[in-house]
Amino acid sequence: MTVAVDDAGPAVAVAAAPTSAQRARSARRRLRWWKEAGALGVAVLVLIWTLVPVYNIFMVALESKGDVFTDTIWPSQPSAESFWIVITQGYWYLEHFWHQFGNSVYIGVGTVFFTLAIGSLASFAIGRMRIRYGWVLSNAALLTYVIPASFLAIPFYRIMQIYGLTNNLWSVIAAEVTFATPYAIFIFQQYGTSIPIELDEAARIDGASPFQVYWKIYLPLMAPALVAVGTYALLLAWNEYLYQFLLLSSKQSMSVPVALAQFLNSDEAPWNYMMATAIVYAIPPVAIYYVFRRRMSAGLTMGGVKG
Amino acid sequence: MNKLGRRVVLRGSVGLAAAGTFASPYIARAQAKTASVLWVQGFVKEEDEAFQNLVAAYEKASGNKIDYSLIPFGPAMQKIVAGLTSGDTPDIMFHDIADQAVVPQNTWNDKLIDVSDIVETQKDKFHPTALLASKYYNNVTKQRGFTYVPVKCGVLPFHVWNSMVEKAGFKLADAPKTWDAFWDFFKPMQKKLRETQRNVYVHGLQPTTNGPADGNNTFHHFLIANGGNGIVSPDGEAHLDDPQVKEAVIKSLTYITTSYKEGYVPPGALGWSDADDNNAFHAKQIVMDLDGTISTEVAMIHEKEKYDDAITLKLPNDNAGQPMRAELGAAGAFIAKSAKNVAVAKDFLKYVIQPDNLNLYLKTGLGRWLPPMPHLVKEDPFWLKQDPHRTAYATEGMIDPTVPNYPCFNPGYAEVNAQQVWGIAVADVVKDGMTVQAATDKALKRISTILAKYPVTRS
Amino acid sequence: MSTDTLEGAGLLVRPRPPLLGRMWRGGLQGSEWTWAIAFTVPYIALFLAFVAYPVAFGAWLGRDPSLYFELAEDPIFQRTIVNTILYVGIAVNLKMFGALLLSGFFMRRGWWVKGLLLVFVLPWAMPALPAFISIHWMLNGEWGLFNNFLFNVFGIEGPGWLDTSRWLALGAVITSHIWKWMPFWTVILLAGRMAIPQELYEAAEVDGATGLTRFTHVTFPLLANLYLVCTLLSTIFTLGDFNSVYFVSGGGPALSTHVLATLGIRDAFEVARPELGVATVLTALPLMIPLVLILMRKLRTTEVTL
Repeated sequence: MTVAVDDAGPAVAVAAAPTSAQRARSARRRLRWWKEAGALGVAVLVLIWTLVPVYNIFMVALESKGDVFTDTIWPSQPSAESFWIVITQGYWYLEHFWHQFGNSVYIGVGTVFFTLAIGSLASFAIGRMRIRYGWVLSNAALLTYVIPASFLAIPFYRIMQIYGLTNNLWSVIAAEVTFATPYAIFIFQQYGTSIPIELDEAARIDGASPFQVYWKIYLPLMAPALVAVGTYALLLAWNEYLYQFLLLSSKQSMSVPVALAQFLNSDEAPWNYMMATAIVYAIPPVAIYYVFRRRMSAGLTMGGVKG
Repeated sequence: MNKLGRRVVLRGSVGLAAAGTFASPYIARAQAKTASVLWVQGFVKEEDEAFQNLVAAYEKASGNKIDYSLIPFGPAMQKIVAGLTSGDTPDIMFHDIADQAVVPQNTWNDKLIDVSDIVETQKDKFHPTALLASKYYNNVTKQRGFTYVPVKCGVLPFHVWNSMVEKAGFKLADAPKTWDAFWDFFKPMQKKLRETQRNVYVHGLQPTTNGPADGNNTFHHFLIANGGNGIVSPDGEAHLDDPQVKEAVIKSLTYITTSYKEGYVPPGALGWSDADDNNAFHAKQIVMDLDGTISTEVAMIHEKEKYDDAITLKLPNDNAGQPMRAELGAAGAFIAKSAKNVAVAKDFLKYVIQPDNLNLYLKTGLGRWLPPMPHLVKEDPFWLKQDPHRTAYATEGMIDPTVPNYPCFNPGYAEVNAQQVWGIAVADVVKDGMTVQAATDKALKRISTILAKYPVTRS
Repeated sequence: MSTDTLEGAGLLVRPRPPLLGRMWRGGLQGSEWTWAIAFTVPYIALFLAFVAYPVAFGAWLGRDPSLYFELAEDPIFQRTIVNTILYVGIAVNLKMFGALLLSGFFMRRGWWVKGLLLVFVLPWAMPALPAFISIHWMLNGEWGLFNNFLFNVFGIEGPGWLDTSRWLALGAVITSHIWKWMPFWTVILLAGRMAIPQELYEAAEVDGATGLTRFTHVTFPLLANLYLVCTLLSTIFTLGDFNSVYFVSGGGPALSTHVLATLGIRDAFEVARPELGVATVLTALPLMIPLVLILMRKLRTTEVTL
């Protein structure tokens, strides 16, 4: 972008008629002004577009029960009572909220750990150790996506019964890991091409075992990709509804999305509580994303451009 | 107001159980065994507590253990279906609408065990309609048999906001006594109410395709009111070409779609889920509502003013001036063949349906469901004397004439229900502009296609 | 090559550059092989237990051809196919194109741009269920925020977005999907753009390229591969997207906005015929398999093959 430089003193400006150079410069300045204004316009649109549903969530959470059905676009008597009810588990459907929140955390952490572990081990073997039929494995991983997760829900339920894992958080972790790992392998492979293979070779010459190469060289250098994929896996697990709903049935084992869905069946429509619950539930993934966002973008596309 | 204090009931039930007053000959004291139970979560907290008390009382009396899960209404049905498909089920499964949705097909496929021995223990006490609703046709044995144990019943009464009726300048006592006229009575109120409230509608009709039952229930009552109850006869045969049935369908569809098109029904009703009509009622968005059980009122039981303002009405006469027959829905328990602890399961169910246990359980649940036994309703003042809501409801369910849902005659009708044929018919007319005649023909054709898959040998 | 065995015995020390590539190529020896197995076994086990078996079971559930005839006759199914094609086609392309444009926008400097990006990603970071239910309520014809706004500010009565018309509801669902997922792809494309070396832009400017030509001659060729891969992935994910449709429109009004994912679940659990549900989703296979094959081929060209 060019920077317009102002001309010399006022005397010159007053005395002479605008030259074509000056006209060109002011034209450029006007164009830039329009561009900035346009950018600002886009920014405002993006802001509104993004935030309106979020505003709705907050509005409902702050309203009292009956107000949801009225004409207002602000909460008429905003109160944080719903949040208090959620935190103190003061409502029938929320009796086990913190326990269920803990379940969600457990599922999230389990998903992240196993996705990263299994994914990085597999992509290390395929990409760094260059096993002979590695491409079969990475292609097979992609085949997981031929049938989308929601399509496999019914057979999955049956399988979990066979494995004896119904109503068990591990069945959900298994499901989430299954669907996150292929993407993890894909990202790790892409990212891994940016790490020179000489490092591995140097370590091998120095007598390191493959595991030591993995642990001491590969993982630390893959950190951005690990963070990116870990965050992705966490958000996947946190966002997911169908499997958690099918596989977890009792109040003790339910995760928060399943508990939230109970509200939809209620005769009383305590939707302010529901949205307050949703906000509390949304805080961890949003916070984690914001903490790790820089590493995320770096880790997601290294190598995607070069192809 | 709930004259039956919770603490009193709790103390009472534990005391009685401890006293072994109900330790009937059926309870096995042998070794402690466990049965797993999938039970539906109630719509109010007290229903769940009542169930927990029942279980506690049984465990104490029998020494067996009941491992139960209380699951919300919608998800419970899905878990039951998933379990039956995969062949891995809890010992007892219970659902409010299993009689319409799951039991008919699974009896057809011989997946449920015969529970006649359980039903026999109280057979003379059950209401005949409830008994009809418990017998289903098995395509493997080619016979009808009891595969369902009725535990509680419900019907569809009217729920009306008295204050809104009066605000519009009318009196509920003046309402006409025949079906269509009763519905028409509310129409002029809308204009008056709209003067002060922007979004108010008078007809809480539920022409929805969102399950599981409200859309079908609404239509069936119109069908019955117009003389079309013979659509499926007790021998399992469908009479879709019967001119009387066809005419009833056309009249019902005409009334519902006209009311919708004239703006008396909230437009969102096309997509109402099971609880949305109650939500609309509570928000005073609709003046009246035809919906199963008195859950609409019971949800407000702790707010005396609102509770008294919401009037429960039993059904007026049908369009021919005869007493209207309500559809009695039976909520019950069933045992799949894949169950592992059948003996304990049967024992528990026998305990549950003992009249005094049943009565106590349903009363603790705030009377939202009726006992399937008329003598309980008549003898215990709780049902007919203590609360006008319950009086209307219990009268409609256990005293006035009723008919069961059609799937007990022909299991194929359960799939007709599930496919929301009637809700689709209404949507075809109001949303896609089909004529009532065309929508009727389409619906009847669809029903006939579905029923063709379930040839019931006439017995 | 004999150097392999000597190397394996640890007897040979060679200067690094000539060994590049050769040392790790071909078969792995001895203990390395066991390590490799150990590293891949977890994934293989995961795959067999949780992908191969369920897929096989699903295929077995949906094996009856009469199910497919039944589906073909069902008007709801026919509508669902149309809906799915429209949904995937429109949502994916609008979303990716929007992501492309916005990623260019977010390349600008300035703290407010960075702040905006933070806010922009919020829909993706937020859990799906409450976000979509919020949208569902927002669009309620009678008391939703959107119509309240229209009435209070402009005095117009908005339509029942989700109740009255199949196309409005479908549009609402597509918009919700884009709302949630566009940020994710924007971030990816943004990172892709940032990886383009600045020298290329400067060289183009020297040659007199501005704005649009800079985009078409520098940016797009380098982003093209990423864009294609993202589009393919996004198509696959969108085809299986259950949450958007289920919570925003519920398949309504009157079952007219179902997509294959939601119809499958409905057939399985509400109609209580799981084999019909599985058959419903299996009908997407003729589309899914070619997509995944193309994706695999695309990805393979960016890897070093053995």
